Amino acid sequence: MRTLPTLLLALALPAAGAPLPSYQLEIRDGHFTPPSLAVPAGQRFKVIVHNRGQGPVEFESLPLRVEKVLGPGVSSFVVIHPLKPGRYDFFDEFHLDLPGGFIEAQ
Amino acid sequence: MEQALLIVWRESVEALLVIGLLYAWLSRQPQRRRHLRLLWAGVAGGAALAGLLATLMLLAGSWMSGPAGEWFQAAMSALASLLVLQMVVWMARNGRQLRHDLESRAEQAVSQGRHAALALLAALAVAREGSEIALFLYGASGSASASQMLGGALLGGLLGAASFALLQAGSRLLDWRRFFAISETLLLLLGGAMLMNALDRASGQLMGMDLPEQLYAWLGDPLWDSSAWLDDGSRLGGLIAGLTGYRAMPSAAAALLLAGFWLLAWYWRRAPRQCVA
Repeated sequence: MRTLPTLLLALALPAAGAPLPSYQLEIRDGHFTPPSLAVPAGQRFKVIVHNRGQGPVEFESLPLRVEKVLGPGVSSFVVIHPLKPGRYDFFDEFHLDLPGGFIEAQ
Repeated sequence: MEQALLIVWRESVEALLVIGLLYAWLSRQPQRRRHLRLLWAGVAGGAALAGLLATLMLLAGSWMSGPAGEWFQAAMSALASLLVLQMVVWMARNGRQLRHDLESRAEQAVSQGRHAALALLAALAVAREGSEIALFLYGASGSASASQMLGGALLGGLLGAASFALLQAGSRLLDWRRFFAISETLLLLLGGAMLMNALDRASGQLMGMDLPEQLYAWLGDPLWDSSAWLDDGSRLGGLIAGLTGYRAMPSAAAALLLAGFWLLAWYWRRAPRQCVA
C-alpha cells in the first residue's frame, strides 16, 4: 500500500519530456490497417488505436501486455514497454475468426 | 458460431470458477443459507455492474478506454485479487476452526466484513468479464451473422452452466479435503491472474508517463523468456495465462508481485490466528 501515494503523485504529474514515437492503428470490425507495425527495439512507443468499425473491438496481446476494449468510433492509445527484437502478435478478441496483426521490433 | 461459443465460455470461465468453488464450499458451512444468498446477491449485482460498464463503454467510450477507465479497471482487478486472497485465508481458517470446534463470538463479529467481501468478490468476478461478454454480444447482434453468433453464445452459456454443475458434482464425489485443497489452489491461481491483469493495465498507464528510466526497466524489461516452452501469445498459452497469471516474458515487477501474492497466501494460511479482515 506504500506505493499508492507514489502512484497518485505520478498520476497528478503531467506527462512532459520528449514525446514518444507513435504509430496509428485502425481496426475495422476485426480488420487491422496496417496489419503490421515496424518499431525500433529497446524504446517505448505509443500505438494510437482507432475503432472505425460498426461494433466494439478488443485490442489484445499478452506479449505486449495490452488488453483494450474500444466501442465503435472510439480512439485511444496504449504505450508499449521497450521490446526486444522480435515479432509480437496482436488480435481483436471480438473477431477471433479473422487474422490478427503483429508488431515487429527491430 | 464457434467463435461466439469460445469467447463466451472463455470470458465466463473465471467467474464460473470463482462462484462455483465458493458455492461448493459455502454449501458445507453452518450458515449456508445466508452465505449463499449473499453470493447470489453478489452475482446479481455483478451482472448489473457488467451491464452498466458495457453501456459506459458504448456511451462514454473515450473515458472508459482512456486513462481514467484503465485505472478504474486496474483497481477492480487488484481489489478482486485481494478479496480472493482473503477468501482463501478465511476458508483455510474456518476449515481448521470447524475441525477444532472453536467458533467464538469474536469470530462472528469479524465475519460481518467477510460477508461484504464475499458478495463483493462475486460481483467483481461477474462484472469484470461480464461486461466484455455484454459488449461482444452487442457487437455480434449487429453483425451479418447475428443469429449464428447468438446461437453460439447461447451454447457457450449452456456450456458454462454445465461446467458449474460438473463442479458441484465433483465437490460431492471427490474426497472433500482433496476438493478443498484443489479449490484453494485454483482460487489462488485466479487471484494471481487478476493481479497480473491489474499490473498490465497499471503499467500500461505508467509507461506513458514521465518517470525515472529505472522504473521503465523494472516494469518493462522481461526477466526471462519462456515463450519457446509455453507462448502466452498462442491460444492455449493465452487461456492458461488468463487463468493463472502466467507470463512468458514477465517484467521484474510482475514476477515479484506474483511471487509476493503466493508467499502471502502461503504465510497467512499457515498462521491461522493472524486476522486479515
